[in-house]
Amino acid sequence: MTYDASVQKDGDDSTTSGGSRPFWGRVVNWRPYQGLVAIVTVSPRRQFFILVAFPVLWLLTQHLGPMLQMLHVSLLDAYPVAPGTAHTFTFDNYMRFLGDRIFWQPFFRTLTFAAVFTFCTLIITYPVAYFLARHVSRKNRMLMLLLLLIPFWVGEIVRTYAIMILLGNTGAVNQVLKWVGLIDRPIPFMYTSFSMGVGIVYLTALYMLLPLYSALEKLPKSYNEAAADLGAGAWTRFRRVTLPLTLEGISSGCTLVFLISTGFYATPVLLGGPSTTVFAETIAGFFHVAGDEWPTGAAFAVIMFAGALAITGVFQRLMKALRKGDTA
Amino acid sequence: MTKLILNRRRFLGTTAMASVALASPAYLRRTSAQGSGEVNIWTYNDFVPQSFKEQFEADTGIKVNIRLVDDQGKQYNLLAAEQPNPTVDIMTVAGHRFLQFIDNKLLAPLDTDRLSNWGNINPSFSESDWSTINGEKWGAPILSGMEVLSYNTDLVSQEEAMTWDTLFSDKYAGQTAYIIQDMMSIIMLKMGYDGNMVAYMDDPEKAAAIVNEAKQYLIDKKPLVRKYYDSGAEVQQMFVNQDIALGHSWNGPAAALINDGFPLAMTIPNEGSYGFVYTYNVANNAPNVDNAYTFLNAILASPEIGAAMTKASGFISTYKDATNYLTDLEKASTSFPEEQLANLPFFRAEAHEMQYGLVDPAVEAVKAA
Repeated sequence: MTYDASVQKDGDDSTTSGGSRPFWGRVVNWRPYQGLVAIVTVSPRRQFFILVAFPVLWLLTQHLGPMLQMLHVSLLDAYPVAPGTAHTFTFDNYMRFLGDRIFWQPFFRTLTFAAVFTFCTLIITYPVAYFLARHVSRKNRMLMLLLLLIPFWVGEIVRTYAIMILLGNTGAVNQVLKWVGLIDRPIPFMYTSFSMGVGIVYLTALYMLLPLYSALEKLPKSYNEAAADLGAGAWTRFRRVTLPLTLEGISSGCTLVFLISTGFYATPVLLGGPSTTVFAETIAGFFHVAGDEWPTGAAFAVIMFAGALAITGVFQRLMKALRKGDTA
Repeated sequence: MTKLILNRRRFLGTTAMASVALASPAYLRRTSAQGSGEVNIWTYNDFVPQSFKEQFEADTGIKVNIRLVDDQGKQYNLLAAEQPNPTVDIMTVAGHRFLQFIDNKLLAPLDTDRLSNWGNINPSFSESDWSTINGEKWGAPILSGMEVLSYNTDLVSQEEAMTWDTLFSDKYAGQTAYIIQDMMSIIMLKMGYDGNMVAYMDDPEKAAAIVNEAKQYLIDKKPLVRKYYDSGAEVQQMFVNQDIALGHSWNGPAAALINDGFPLAMTIPNEGSYGFVYTYNVANNAPNVDNAYTFLNAILASPEIGAAMTKASGFISTYKDATNYLTDLEKASTSFPEEQLANLPFFRAEAHEMQYGLVDPAVEAVKAA
């Protein structure tokens, strides 16, 4: 790209003589700015590196940095340690997981819960996304989406407490059931896998809904009309046309919800009971205990992360194979 | 690609800049905590009465920054991670956790000569055996607490509440809650053992066997419990929502509910329980030591302040004559019959390393089972 300095100069003169040079005009002619531009744009390579620097810095400091730090801590024999105390590298923290079956139960329970809750979220949100994308007029869709998003304007803890208010012994659900005459004594919904499931499905619904909505909205109506013309019933049209063509949305939504579900801590603590202890609680236990237990907690966090990623990888491959099978 | 060539001057400059950048977090953290008129306190909810805080700030010009904590272990880890440049001046350590903090040089010895109001503390707390370690005082006792059996008086009788067995009875299946860590010591006591484990310091095998027995008991009784909880607010909420009929709790949160008029009572069951004392401590290398002592002396100044702490937190004041400033209901909610107090030993710190080494994995095992 060439730069015609004379044209720019003329332009600058005209604004200066007018006496009302706009803000950006003044910035452009500010010497330090010009010096900076000269340094930055001296070569395309430098421009590229400067452009790349910010996102890379963000990724390194905000995403990879903490994870690498966690990996580092997981390999130490003690952390945090008193000033002046040395520490050494060890794999003992990982071996503790493998060597003690106590920890396997919450680990596999977490993965099972995450898989089941992901499936439940999919089953519950798919019809909602379908209704939004296929039956709501285009002008009302944004309004409906906004209405669905209202609960997500507040944080996770507030929404979790909302579930507690709903499902408690003196909560709205039990009150209504009592009022209707269906029960005499409150049903103990709270502190069970049910209350925890309701909470997690509620908290993750958005992450499933949006990819599904996006996939369903892109699906041309003519495909279904063509199938109907060829004699396919509603169920066949859904099974043979809609579902296969929204597999990508299902895959994205399930991956998001599964990964988020494996990491939930506050919700299981607040809504779960004695038999629903998840691995995040076990990990947190090591960070809360006074002593040198952070490395074990960090190692367990790495194991959870790796486990969740491995399952997601298998799931993605499965979905890819399904998509290929359908398009073959 | 151009080669990265540094001359000596540029190398030195870059190194200096990098050193400044690397050192800045510790420096910034310390200077931000070192504001001219500030004192930084880690403490539990309601342990610094709001009216006292406002008055202290107005009188001294020292701003009080409070960071709430809800667990001794978290507090320990936070401080250990920040040393040797902590942001905290005063923290709230339970007396039986002293040793762990002291052994790791996280606390500074308390200079009681700088506290003209030290004498306002009841000597049974300020001069008790646990409060002096290595010939030094390490904290100013402010509130006393105990592990109690709390129960909804509409659902549970006082007679039933006089034994821990009721907490594990089929009659109240699914209507109980407790903190596992605390229950481990209580169960050991209930079984006739020393829950402080001081008696087994020379016999680690026996200690391990006792912890294992207590752990197995809690695992066997797991189907009967509604919730393992962590904080006082949680158990309060469960009582209010009638999710539980009885539960183990600290006396503070239970007393707060009683004072609010909730049909709740608490006992120290016949098998016994444990007491503990919260103390204000000065952190080692605290950034505002002088302000910390000014604050400590001010908060120890009068029994009214002690009474205000009791009113807000529900725990029992360690100040002389603080009960004179409580209502009858508040007095009732913070006092126990003599025969029950006779069953209340205090938590001790001597065997803490062995105790937590055995109990912490047991707690995880109970949760995971």
